[in-house]
Amino acid sequence: MPVVAGSYAFATGVSAFFEMPTSDARRILPDHLEPVEVTHQRSILAVTAFHFTESVAGPHVELMFSVIVPPVPGQWKQRQHPKAGFYPFLAATSSDESRQHRSEGFSIPHITDDIDAKFVESAGTLRVSIWSRRGPIVDLTVTQHKWESTTHLLHTFMMDGNRRLKSNLQVSGRYTVHENERGRMTLHHHPMTTALTLDEISPYPFREHWLKDGVELFHPLETL
Amino acid sequence: MADSKPPDTLVKRPTVETRSRLGDADEDRPAMQYDYTNFYFGAGEDPFALLDPFDAWWSEAEPEGYYQYESPLQSAPSTRVDVLDKKTGEVRAGLINFASYNYLGLSYRAEVKEAIKAAVDVYGGGSSGSPILSGTTALHQELSEEVAHFKLKEGALVFPTGYSANVGTIAGLMRSGDLIVADQWAHASIVDGMVLSKATSRFFRHNNVEDLERKLSGFNGKKLVVVEGVYSMDGDLPPLRDIVTVSKKYGARIMIDEAHSVFVFGDNGRGVVESLDLEEEVDIHLGTFSKSLGGQGGYTAGSLKLINYLRGFSRSRFFSCALAPTVVAGVLTALRLARSEPQLRTKLWDNVRFMNAKLDGAGVPTGASASQVIPIMVRDDARIFRIGEELFRAGVFINPVKYPAVPKHKSRFRMSISAAHTHDDLERGAAIIAGVLRDFGVCQ
Repeated sequence: MPVVAGSYAFATGVSAFFEMPTSDARRILPDHLEPVEVTHQRSILAVTAFHFTESVAGPHVELMFSVIVPPVPGQWKQRQHPKAGFYPFLAATSSDESRQHRSEGFSIPHITDDIDAKFVESAGTLRVSIWSRRGPIVDLTVTQHKWESTTHLLHTFMMDGNRRLKSNLQVSGRYTVHENERGRMTLHHHPMTTALTLDEISPYPFREHWLKDGVELFHPLETL
Repeated sequence: MADSKPPDTLVKRPTVETRSRLGDADEDRPAMQYDYTNFYFGAGEDPFALLDPFDAWWSEAEPEGYYQYESPLQSAPSTRVDVLDKKTGEVRAGLINFASYNYLGLSYRAEVKEAIKAAVDVYGGGSSGSPILSGTTALHQELSEEVAHFKLKEGALVFPTGYSANVGTIAGLMRSGDLIVADQWAHASIVDGMVLSKATSRFFRHNNVEDLERKLSGFNGKKLVVVEGVYSMDGDLPPLRDIVTVSKKYGARIMIDEAHSVFVFGDNGRGVVESLDLEEEVDIHLGTFSKSLGGQGGYTAGSLKLINYLRGFSRSRFFSCALAPTVVAGVLTALRLARSEPQLRTKLWDNVRFMNAKLDGAGVPTGASASQVIPIMVRDDARIFRIGEELFRAGVFINPVKYPAVPKHKSRFRMSISAAHTHDDLERGAAIIAGVLRDFGVCQ
């Protein structure tokens, strides 16, 4: 597998956290990863959608479903301690090139459909709708709190056969986050959502992240 | 006691330079962009792997003002307190105290102190044993009987803490294969009891009865619904009547934790259940002695069969040392005072109304409180601790509450009103709080 790093400039991005049954999370995760529980028996499904304007795989839209997992502790003084860990278990993109780049370069499973998306911002609210030829996948609304500039270090974990992989992910940009539970999500029945027990996923994001005008930088993959 | 002392500090308006400093975001202070949750989970094989990064973070975060807790009091938790400023090493005297529970001002009443002194002479310091072995004294027995009598229940069990009461009651009753449904903002001790019970746990959206019904439906087996009388971070109440209706529809037993509401609500102080005439509909009644009574410990009250069962299965109780007899003596006296002096509750509610009017008049955002717990909503995680420092310096002792204790950007100060506060205390406190919040742009 080629070891690559990727830089992805985005105009808009959203990452919303939802409670999901820990039993679902464990079923999705490989053996060496544990789900982070937001409360007893409830783990975290992260639904992220980005509109990348420039990247090593060209402009594209990406939808990713992840389970939040513990990151690998890092040195604080070197600013290497991550804020969170993600296990992206399924993604979808709007182009062949980006799909190939992400699935082969980063071992992130993808559905084969091209997706299309609408990001509509109005009055402090962002509405994201994503669909493919087989129908709608997700409708997601997030809201703003206070905008700041920020850089976050995250860890993403992947599997390539039996190989356990990790990539450091640095996300920079304008950013707002809150837990006011003003957002909303509808997950539709679609090949992208078959791994999830839809009735058991809260339709309300307990945390809403909204990002603008930033960059995602995936560091080269490491074998754990 | 520091009751009669004036505050030694006046409201100090920050200078323009200071205000600019105070208004900075945390972008240039990486430590303040992290919190406890970032050091809770860590992959790897060494259980100590998080200690080094946590320690390094903490060594930056604490001097930045991240942690404003455990400031040692140098006086009783009365309406004015002397508190050690951990940054300067100086004692700040006569701060107006909105941080302590002590809702009825009983912890330092002369009668309580006398009872404690008398118990020392008879029993010495500790109880020296589990309550089921040698730790139960005549005072413990008297207290449990008095609690049962007060709550109009057949029996009551005394626990060493309120935490222990929730853990011991829930885990003592519920088992693997059962279902427990609790409000999403239920206290950590309720959650820990659920975890320990190994029952299936579900949480319904705060005070949302429709969601409670969703969480109860379709489950066959034993079911317990757990709510609180007053939610400790927002000061709001549950829609208990509707919760009872839905719980009964699904055959669920109902437990209420009245830690913050017993001795405060109801004509006789028996809690939210009394104020709503639902005392018989609720199956398990919890409370603490550490809030309104200013003591320590907790209780569970209910039918004699329930209490006898829990006596045998509440591990958090019988694997702990019983409460010190001195504490029990103080609690017993405070309980009798709370029962015999309903004017304390009248004064408390008068103070709550007075303070709410002062805060509202000053434009201070206070959330949806319906109790003596009033959240001062700041909604700014980056600056909550700096605002807390300014309040401390300006003469108010009040605890900031930030994520993860409350959701992100729902940071607030949790204000506890006491029957012992004078209107002057409250008026001065409201003026200081409004002044500091104005300086930070939190209110107009």
